[in-house]
Order: sequence, then C-alpha cells, then structure tokens
Amino acid sequence: MPPTNSVDTAAVEGRDGSQAFAGVSRAADSGLGNRSPRPTPSPAIYAVGLTKRFGDTIAVKSLSMTVERGEVFGFLGPNGAGKTTVVKLLLGLARPTGGEALVLGAPLGDRETRRHIGYLPELFRFQALLTAKEVLRLHCRLLGLPKTAWEEEGRGALATVGLLERGDDRVGTFSKGMQQRLGLAVALLGNPSLVVLDEPTSALDRVGRHDVRAIICGLRERGATVFLNTHLLEEAEHVCDRVAVIDNGTAIATGTLDALLGHHSTVRLKVGGLGELWWSSFGRFGRWRRQEEWVSVDGIDPSRIPDLVDEVIALGGRVEAVIPEHQSLEARFLELLGER
Amino acid sequence: MNPTLTIAALTIKEAVRRRLLLAFVTITVGMVGISAWGFDRLSHTHTITSGESHLAVPDALILVMFMFSFVVALSASAIASPSISSEVESGVLMTVVARPIRRTEVLLGKWLGLALLLAGYAGIVCALEFGVVDWVSGFVPPNPVLAGVYLFAEGALLLTLSLFLSTRMPAIAAGVIGVAVFGAGWLAGVVGALGSNLNIGALRTVGQVGRILLPTDGLWHGAIYYLQPPSLIGEHLVEGGNGNPFYAQGALSWPYLLWVACWFLIVLIAAVASLERREL
Repeated sequence: MPPTNSVDTAAVEGRDGSQAFAGVSRAADSGLGNRSPRPTPSPAIYAVGLTKRFGDTIAVKSLSMTVERGEVFGFLGPNGAGKTTVVKLLLGLARPTGGEALVLGAPLGDRETRRHIGYLPELFRFQALLTAKEVLRLHCRLLGLPKTAWEEEGRGALATVGLLERGDDRVGTFSKGMQQRLGLAVALLGNPSLVVLDEPTSALDRVGRHDVRAIICGLRERGATVFLNTHLLEEAEHVCDRVAVIDNGTAIATGTLDALLGHHSTVRLKVGGLGELWWSSFGRFGRWRRQEEWVSVDGIDPSRIPDLVDEVIALGGRVEAVIPEHQSLEARFLELLGER
Repeated sequence: MNPTLTIAALTIKEAVRRRLLLAFVTITVGMVGISAWGFDRLSHTHTITSGESHLAVPDALILVMFMFSFVVALSASAIASPSISSEVESGVLMTVVARPIRRTEVLLGKWLGLALLLAGYAGIVCALEFGVVDWVSGFVPPNPVLAGVYLFAEGALLLTLSLFLSTRMPAIAAGVIGVAVFGAGWLAGVVGALGSNLNIGALRTVGQVGRILLPTDGLWHGAIYYLQPPSLIGEHLVEGGNGNPFYAQGALSWPYLLWVACWFLIVLIAAVASLERREL
C-alpha cells in the first residue's frame, strides 16, 4: 500500500495544508461543474497560475494543471520550454514568483510531504565515493525509514532497476546510464505516493527505456502517481494516462492521449461486397481514399467509427477489418507547437 | 540519526575516502620530522649558550606553529569552499534537499563534519609538534591544549567564512577570497603591531579593526600567548616587543572571545540563510 493515507487523513482532517487542499479539490470540482459537498481526496498536484521569472525572463507563465492521484502524467515540451523549472517549483527547490500550487495536498516545499515523494532529477550526480548500497542507505536514513528496512528497501530498489550485482561498486565507476538507474532506485525508496521523473531515460539505451516503462507501469499498478517530465514523445505515448504539452512556460494542451489525438483520427477499413456507387457515402464521415478493397477515412470523429461500420453492413457490404489510426503524438505535438 | 549528524558523518566519510586526512597527516609528519631535526640542532648546538637556547626554542616553535596555523587555515578554506557550490553544480545537493531534510541541517551537518576533520588535524599537528619539541629539547609550552584550541578556532573561523561564501560562489572564488581575507587579516595584525610599537594611531586602528572584522589574527595571538614561556614574555617586555607579530602581550580578553563567538554565529546564520534562500 502506498503511504498516502497518512497524508490524506492529515490533510482532510485538520492540518493547514489539508483545509487548503479540501478547498482546492472543491474548486477543481466546481471547475468541472460538479460541486461536491464533501471534501474529496486532493489531487497529487494542483497548480493555479504558477509563474516563475528569472529577471526579465519568464520561465513559467501562469501554469495551471491538475494531476490526479494514481495516474501517470506526462509533461511534454521542447527543450527550454520550462519543464524542469516547473518540477523544481513543485519540489520546493525553487520558489514561484506567482500563483500557487499544492503537492499531495500540502504547500510547495512542505518538508513532511517530501517523505512521500520520490524524485529523479534530470542533471544530477550521487556521491562518487560511496557505493550504490551506501547511497541507498543514506537516502533511507534521510527519509527516516527504520534501520531494519534499509537492507530490504535497498535490495528491492537495486533489483528493480537491474543494479543488484553492482550494489557494492562505487558510484564514481558507474556509467551515465547506470547512474540514472541508481537515481531511479533512489526515487523508488520508501514506497512514495508521488514519483517525479525528470527525463528518466535520457542516458538509457532502448533496453533501459523499456525497463523504465515497466517500472512506471508497476508504480501505477500499486497506486502511485507518476509525473513524467520528458521530451521523448514515444515514452509518453507508451505509459501516460494524461499529458500536458508545455511551451514557453505555458500549458498549451492538457488531456488524455485519446482526447489530444482523437479529433484527428483516421480509420482504415477492408471492405468487400459494396457496389461502386456506395463508396461515395464515405464522404459523410470524412475525407476518404480507396486503394483496392481498403478505404481510409481521414478526420473521422472516433465515436462515429461504429456508425461507419454499421452503414457499410446496412448497405450490404462486408467489413473484414477495421484499423483505427491515431495521429502520432509527435505529429500532434508539432502541430500544437506550430499553432502557437 | 539526526539529519545533521547524518550529513556530518557523510562529509567525514567522503573526506576519508578522498584520502584528504591521510594526505594532510603524511605531509604534516614530514614537516614535523624536519622541524624535529631543526629543534635538535638548536638545542644541542655549541655556538649559543643554554640560556639563549631556552629562549630560541620557544621562538622557533612559535614560527613553526605559525606555519602550521597557515596550513590549518588554508586547509579549512580548501575543504569548505567547494562543499556547497560543487554539490550545487553537480546536482548532488538536489538529491539530498529533495528529501525531508532542512537545508539548515545540510549546512550545519557539513560544517560539523568539516570542523571535526579540522579539529582532528589540528589535534594531530599539535600533539606531534609539541611532543617532538618536548622530546628533543625538553620544552613544553605553558598551555599546549589552549594553544591547540586557538589554532583550531582560527581554522574553524576561516572554514565558516568559506562555507558561507560557498553557498553563493563557485569553489575557486570562495577559496581565493577565503585565503586573501586570511592574508589581509594577518597583515592588518602586523600593521597594528607596528602602529603600537611606533605609536602611530592610524596603523594601530588598522590592526584593531582587522581583528574585529576577521578575528583569525586575534586567535593566532591567543595561541601565541600559550606557546610563550614566561621568560620569553619578560624578554619581549624588556625589548618593547609590541611590534613583533610573533609575540602576544597577554591572553585574549573575555569581551574579545565573546565577539569571536558572535562572529561565528553571525557568519553561520548568514550561511544558513543564504543556502535556505538559494534556488537550486
């Protein structure tokens, strides 16, 4: 079980942060048109108008977003979009110059809340002269885990990231990819409710990336929230429940991948038994083109694909295959950036 | 374990693995060996009388300890100046402060770890040098423990200053400033001593202000006082030795020691505030 209950209970039943977050939850609900009389569990991350200026440069501009508990949330954007700055703001490593945010129902930088957050920074190093096991023990100690749990926690985390056999080696001898794996192991210690991964696969090969995806899926299965900051769209496409696309410090799109890509679906059908005249009826669903017995309909609303199939059958046709094709995230991403 | 102690233990472990203490101790043993040979020659030469020898040995010991005070102070600056800035640059600090730990605890832990290392080094230096001098010449300073404590305090002062600078500056800049300030402090002390000797008020003021702004020279003179035998103090009084930068007329006053304690506290609080406010 993730140790979220203590945070939740504390928050709902009386801590300063809790009242705020109960209020925030209601505010979030009201935004969706569903005003609930009872306080709901806080989102993992809730930000309103979050802003960060460095002198004249605005790194984050009035960012608002909600990351629900238990979801894998992709935070996408090109280099320099302000992604890492947002992560630092959320973790209290930097202070916002405007707006506010709650993480696990507590104000930014709340020390107790950090006990429930695992964090893999983008650019980091561990103490080069310590062994991997010593690094893990150090973080167990800083997390306040009981000493009896250190060994098991450390072994479990090393096994998860595939470094069990290198546990006694000094971190200074590790490759960049191995350091990143160790960083992930450290982020997994103490069964965190929220895991913030900032470009977790930037130094990993394809096998490593696959492993990280499996770890993220494992976190989701045990109910943890994952905030995945990445510019690798393929990564987000594989594991994220929802994503936000950020550019120039502002979220330009937020939603599920389906919602983000769905308006621009294409469907391919293998159709037999239709007379020549009937092919033109595909035009009611979108732009279509035929290639022998295959027909592609572009720009179709995904919810209308069953209607299309029904129509073909009603007209005496035979549908041998239906292949919905989403626009790739990359294409949509570029489109979104291009729209700005 | 308390987070401050955890960071202190980590700091010491890293220093030991870097073989920092081993390197310092090895060099120190070499220097103590050379000084032992010198003290032996000084004590057993036939060109001076035994009375002159009894005055020369403490003088020489003060000179040798000045060299060690320099080493202790510079070592303090060298180990403290990269302690925060390098960890900020490399990202090590980010992984630590993202944990449920106060930045204050990180800074105090580092200070404590480095101060313990420095105390260990100062203790080894004093024990070796005083032991060797006693062995070859039979001279024991009037209060070797307090002399050692002042030597350590001088280094700890520079350590605290360098740690403060390290929260805002790159390691090299913090180190250079630390060393430069230490040198300026010592020079201000010399100028002040000259001013006293020549009765020039302005120069005397330079020394006094220098000792207030950076009490390293004041602490060094506190150490000197406990290295001088009473006979040497008498000799200098006869010669009007106020202008000698290697001579202390008296022990440090309580108000001055109180100011030194306040200085430590002020700079340490400034370091804590600086790190707390720093964006990573």
